[in-house]
Amino acid sequence: MPRAARNSAPALSLALAWALTAPALAEPPSTAGSTEVAPAQWLERMNRALTTRNYDGVFSHWHGGRVEMLRIIHRVQDGTVSERLASLDGSGREFVRTGASLACYLPDKRTVLVEQRPPEQSLVGFPTVNDQTADFYEIRDMGRSRLNRRDTHVITVAPRDEYRYGYRLWIDESTAMPLKTELCDTHGRVIEQIVFASLTLPARISDAAFKPEVSTTGFQWLHNDAAPQPSSTTLAWTAMRLPPGFRMTVRSAQVLPGASAPVDHLVFTDGFASVSVFVERAAGATSPQPPQQAAVGSSSAFSTVIDGHKITAVGEVPPATVQFIATQVKAQEPAAPHP
Amino acid sequence: MSADASDLSLVRRVQRGDKGAFDALVLKYQHKLVKLVMRYVRNPAEAEDIAQEAFIKAYRALPQFRGDSAFYTWLYRIAINTAKNAVVSRDRSPIDYDLDRNSSDESYDMQGRMKDSETPEGLVLTDEIRSTVNAAIDALPEDLRTAIVLRELEGLSYEEIAAAMDCPVGTVRSRIFRAREAIDRRLREVFEGGLGRAEELG
Amino acid sequence: MKEELDSQLSAMFDDELPSAECELLARRLARDEQLKARWGRYAVMGAVIRAERGVRLNAPLAGRVSAVLLAEPALVSRSSAPLRVAGMRWWQPLAATGLAASVAAVSVLWLRSQSPLAGSAPLSSQLASAPRALPVAAVVPAAINSGGGSSLNYVLSRGGSTAPLMVPSTELANYVVAHSTFSSPVARRNLLSAFMTSEGGTLGAEEAPQDAQSSAK
Repeated sequence: MPRAARNSAPALSLALAWALTAPALAEPPSTAGSTEVAPAQWLERMNRALTTRNYDGVFSHWHGGRVEMLRIIHRVQDGTVSERLASLDGSGREFVRTGASLACYLPDKRTVLVEQRPPEQSLVGFPTVNDQTADFYEIRDMGRSRLNRRDTHVITVAPRDEYRYGYRLWIDESTAMPLKTELCDTHGRVIEQIVFASLTLPARISDAAFKPEVSTTGFQWLHNDAAPQPSSTTLAWTAMRLPPGFRMTVRSAQVLPGASAPVDHLVFTDGFASVSVFVERAAGATSPQPPQQAAVGSSSAFSTVIDGHKITAVGEVPPATVQFIATQVKAQEPAAPHP
Repeated sequence: MSADASDLSLVRRVQRGDKGAFDALVLKYQHKLVKLVMRYVRNPAEAEDIAQEAFIKAYRALPQFRGDSAFYTWLYRIAINTAKNAVVSRDRSPIDYDLDRNSSDESYDMQGRMKDSETPEGLVLTDEIRSTVNAAIDALPEDLRTAIVLRELEGLSYEEIAAAMDCPVGTVRSRIFRAREAIDRRLREVFEGGLGRAEELG
Repeated sequence: MKEELDSQLSAMFDDELPSAECELLARRLARDEQLKARWGRYAVMGAVIRAERGVRLNAPLAGRVSAVLLAEPALVSRSSAPLRVAGMRWWQPLAATGLAASVAAVSVLWLRSQSPLAGSAPLSSQLASAPRALPVAAVVPAAINSGGGSSLNYVLSRGGSTAPLMVPSTELANYVVAHSTFSSPVARRNLLSAFMTSEGGTLGAEEAPQDAQSSAK
């Protein structure tokens, strides 16, 4: 696995090459430093808009040659976040978050996953762009651009190494909503794209808007009833080595829907991308299991069994990164009798 | 009565050399086809181009159409294939319908209305057509409105509508026809009225 | 008499006209521009009632096709075999109550589908009835005769790619959902969107053994 050396010439030229593959844009910033808002601030404004504003939109999601349409409705009311994401084509899947509960409707599996999660939890471990982030990503302001008759500011977040992906974001100047988002690999190739076809920011959204369309008769409901707890398992898990810039920000244990025992959940982030690692006892695995890879859109997952524990890493990073992190996870303390 | 007789009678005429009959098929199915193609390409103008291509392909392939399936089913398959090819031939690159083109083919404002765009007039026209039809329908007597909505929205046959509304089939046919006439009185104005505001066939 | 003829056009548009009369009307329709224009407006009405947003209602599509066809050679049917007319429409027996509900629901549906985008949820209600448009696979009729070696018989696969539709395992779904809370908002949306669509890979072997394993935790 390549070790990226920070600030080395190859890494810099990688970032530069990446930025140069961005499509030709109108109106680059006139002079560096004369832009009113720093690029990182644009990202902050965008994150704030995505988390605090009410919005209702339909967007297209492009990946792997396929396009699908989805609807997203998001509301913040009296400090409670409600959200609904629904596939408008095909799968009929929906994701609904209301206050403390998350429900994932999977009609193709005739299953509903329900998780209870205390609201404050959502703000913990959340990647935030800071000075350190600039060590691993080059954040640039590519200037203004008209997108579907809106004025947008184009911000690129170019990775400096192969461990992470980059973004190009068309951020609406007046609302800071990302009207178009492109996820790119280290060579600047677009691997995923989300574009809003319509978007409103209503002052009020009714509760009815968050009711799922799916009919759940005959579905299997998988709940997790236990709230996440600080890790109570006897082993403290940690990663021996991490890709540059990644640090652990959350360590908890939770019971996933349908499971009977808690799973350790670690979160690592580099300020922009995040990777979750789940650790659980591997059931009766005496012989080593082959490691497994999966992809969910552009996100990667990797699972392996080490020392009788199944370790799964999931994140919006290249496959090599989840593999790296998963294989570096080890128990810190010697095993104690399981309570 | 046999199913698909309407389309088949037109298809037969086309197969015997009557191109005008094909126009009727295009007029009937153009919106459905564009809507279908828009599952593959989001840009309405591009979808229209693809739909156009699909119609032309269908015309050329019509000699081979035997009536084993309904005409629309056959047309539908051609449209999907054409749309898929169009998407694939863009080399799996993501949909990009803004920066490289000057005219935004798809636009929206923060009120969230998807508008068609072209000239400012074109912009207004679809909305105008839509509101004209909606207003006309709202103004219909209830039995006429129910009949046409059951037909167009629910896709029920005359016999099914007759059962639903508890009246003879002939009455259903008459109600739907009268509903259309009432709407058409207003709609005609938009299409024909002053300065040729809407595009018309031929 | 005229009304009779006019109502024939409406009936033919709905495919409710006996075939003999269709033949006659088809001939008239092919040549009469006024009749064609009315026929075209019937189609526009249908599109508005179904609230097909995003579709241009005054598109010059038909005119363009017509113009292209002018330059095309006229078709001459290769064989003299008459078209086989597809079988009688199969009338689904509809429970009276079901239909009554249909009628009662019409006004509700109508209102819902016509309300402006802002302030209500018309898009989802329209799209809730989207199954009417039928997922691609469902439209394929039971028997597709290849008739004459036509290359127009497609095997329809879901979605635009030839990859089989993969369904993420419940376990992976759990992980994805649990992880999503800790992603940055933009990344989270990408992740969940991918998850909501038809994409996703299995983590591990087939579903059944996977579940057996996880239930033994």
